[in-house]
Amino acid sequence: MILSDLLGSDALEADGRRVGGVVDVRLEISGAPAQLLAATVVTGVLVSPRSRVSTWGYERREETAPLLIARLQRWLHRGMFLVAWDDVELVDEHRVVFRDGYEQRDPMLPPAPRT
Amino acid sequence: MNDEAVHRMPRRDPQAPRGRVLDAQLHVLDRQVLDRDGMPVTTVDDLEFDGIQLGVRIEPGSPAPTVAAILTRPQLPMRIFGGDSPASRRVRIPWKLVSGVGTTVRLGVAGESLDATWVERWVSRHIIGRIPGGRHDPE
Repeated sequence: MILSDLLGSDALEADGRRVGGVVDVRLEISGAPAQLLAATVVTGVLVSPRSRVSTWGYERREETAPLLIARLQRWLHRGMFLVAWDDVELVDEHRVVFRDGYEQRDPMLPPAPRT
Repeated sequence: MNDEAVHRMPRRDPQAPRGRVLDAQLHVLDRQVLDRDGMPVTTVDDLEFDGIQLGVRIEPGSPAPTVAAILTRPQLPMRIFGGDSPASRRVRIPWKLVSGVGTTVRLGVAGESLDATWVERWVSRHIIGRIPGGRHDPE
């Protein structure tokens, strides 16, 4: 399966109710150690109730500049949430179905490490 | 360590990230891919996942899917002729060759060892190299 098959899919609850569109897939570099980089695992999907695409990720970061664009993006993606991969029951063509009783989590990214 | 000390220790949040957190589209897609010497190889067109089967119910407690590969397309024809090459022309760069993800995606191998650059190598060797002066830098 490839990323672009997941992006833009309908996000559905177990009873078939649409709760938004999948705008991104959250990853974590925390899997089994490898020669160069630890395995990168899928930890969840990000769902926006009002859009199928997210461009700059202002709604997931603390950044506020340029102010107008940041506010517009936050408004467009208001209500965005993260669903942990453990709460995903089915991935099918153009749809992702969540388990009964799934949790809508805070979509904010942790602060980026200082380099 | 006594029981009281154990109780005072902060417990690890089971949902806290255990490593670097990235959003696939935001942090990886369309990023430039550099080889171990910092030479540009290609850009990330898509990512391939292992462990997701279309239309098959995911059992609770199943292992999480992992990123298997970067998918890209030969860049040279697009640079010359414009447009986009078809999905069937995708080239796979295994994720295990990635050494870091930042502003760019860095590989731990030389770009010349990858299929993603064979068109550039072929054109360089068989066409550019036959043009007088094509085998050295401009003087």
